[in-house]
Amino acid sequence: MRTLRPLLPAFLAVVALAAVPLVVQDSYIRHLMIMAFIFAVVASNWDLSMGYGGVFNFGHMAFFGIGVYTFAILGRVLDVSPWLALPASGLAAAVAAALVTLPVLRLKGIYVILVTFAFGQLCLQIVVSQSEVTGGTQGMVLLPPLRIGDYNFARDGRFAYYYAGLLLLIASTVYLRGLVRSDFGRSVVALRDNQDYAVSRGLSLSRQRLLLMMGSAVFTGLAGGFYATYLRVASVEVFGFSLLALVLSMLLLGGICTLYGPILAAFALTLLSESLADLGAWRFLIIATGIILVMRFYPGGLWSAVTRLAGR
Amino acid sequence: MDLDSAAAILVSGLVLGSLYAMMATGLSLIWSTLGIFNFAHGVFMTLGAYIAWQVADGAGLGWGLAAGIAVGVAVLVGLGCVAEQVLVRPFQDRGNLVLTAVITTLAALIFLENAILLGWGPRLKQLPPLVDGTVSIAGVAISAHEAVIIVLSPAILLALWLFLKMSRLGSAIRAVGQNRDAALLIGVPVSRMYMAAFGLSAGLAAMAGILLASIRFLTPTMGGEPLVKALIVAIFGGLGSLLGTVAAAYIIGLLEALSTYFIGLYWTPAILFAIMILVLMVRPSGLLGRK
Repeated sequence: MRTLRPLLPAFLAVVALAAVPLVVQDSYIRHLMIMAFIFAVVASNWDLSMGYGGVFNFGHMAFFGIGVYTFAILGRVLDVSPWLALPASGLAAAVAAALVTLPVLRLKGIYVILVTFAFGQLCLQIVVSQSEVTGGTQGMVLLPPLRIGDYNFARDGRFAYYYAGLLLLIASTVYLRGLVRSDFGRSVVALRDNQDYAVSRGLSLSRQRLLLMMGSAVFTGLAGGFYATYLRVASVEVFGFSLLALVLSMLLLGGICTLYGPILAAFALTLLSESLADLGAWRFLIIATGIILVMRFYPGGLWSAVTRLAGR
Repeated sequence: MDLDSAAAILVSGLVLGSLYAMMATGLSLIWSTLGIFNFAHGVFMTLGAYIAWQVADGAGLGWGLAAGIAVGVAVLVGLGCVAEQVLVRPFQDRGNLVLTAVITTLAALIFLENAILLGWGPRLKQLPPLVDGTVSIAGVAISAHEAVIIVLSPAILLALWLFLKMSRLGSAIRAVGQNRDAALLIGVPVSRMYMAAFGLSAGLAAMAGILLASIRFLTPTMGGEPLVKALIVAIFGGLGSLLGTVAAAYIIGLLEALSTYFIGLYWTPAILFAIMILVLMVRPSGLLGRK
């Protein structure tokens, strides 16, 4: 029992989340929760490369966008089954991560930020310019939904999508937790904290960094594919500043290098951001101000506040 | 390729290069002084252009373009100083200032972009050209407005260079960038220099935005694409090197004009990105950047 005790809060959280659709019939609340699941996956995987790996990777949302568009192009243009297009989006994101990581292997600090950031903008411009395939700025609509037999996942108030999203989040979190605690995870942290020493002990910076970036992209791309099949649209906004800043603030407000912090912040920010949706542009003014205020007054992020409360 | 299209490519390359040079030096100035990257730089351009439009256009105050430029640049210099106080100063003593500044300046970008949308609405606007008509150089006619941009931008950058090299304030800004602690020791008011660098950079952004808005339309998101170009220029030239940045701006401008003419508008960003990656693989700190 003693060894299982630290897992108790996570277990309770999963049970509570699994019970939500049985209690709440409102399909809008379920929709918010599904969006929160997706962003929690994206933000916590970003924590792997940025927090644990210390790589200033600003192309993470591009991996998500590549997942969205891989699903959209396979599912809508090439008529591939969504069940095949979904893993393909995770794979495509991992390949993209390898592509963007290769040139930044030799770079440091601000140059990594700039190259990865420019990569995301490049993806945006390619999607806009190849409008015969991607729909350009108009985006793509009527993407194929997930089905088993004749049962569409969106039926019964998005019942099946809710559990599919929850399953994705659980799988991603178990994966991340396992990775962080493995030898690989420790080697990555060692390279971040003392690169020279870690390299002199025989670790390859290039190899570990490449694997790390690809590892953080797999579930991000999957989440992108899931986002596309759930909303049934793909739009260039997934590469935009606003979404980048929103997910980045989930990561930073939740607390980097905590894994659970970004997940928690993803729920908080998705619910907050959606509840302000009626305010139009004002919503972004409020969120931007909020980001700066939290950075100012809670530098350790939400998770540090939670653990401090729990420790009392 | 005949003479006319060669001249057209050259002119368009020089115009782009001039605009990129003004934007990228602002980014580079902040990087070399404060050691951070300002993502709000593009939206500073946009805001400068909108303020100039508000003052200059008949639908606003209607005071004419000269007043518009003066007010636009002046307001942005002030805003730059405020931005430094709000976005950078409180986080100065934290460990990862670079990362924190990315998120605070991104937040500022979102704030200002949506504030512009609320204030001026999504409809397209345009600033009048600085001068009308065409001029003829060696038998090739180009629009007088583009000629003015090609001449004005190097003049402004030369003035900036003289200011940084010759004046006391400019020397102090450079000193802070080179060695903050040593500058503090000899009595340079470091935090005021940070503010000055931010204000100067925002003023340059406003000027670039006003010039850009007279050849393109004004929209709340018009700063996004030039920001990415300026970013590529700044990396290409090596962050922190004024000369490298200006040289890179003209090289990128001409490459973009060539690539647009021969390969097409759509693939140009990918080609510029590939060139940037190649340069970084050979010289990880940019073309003329210091180690």
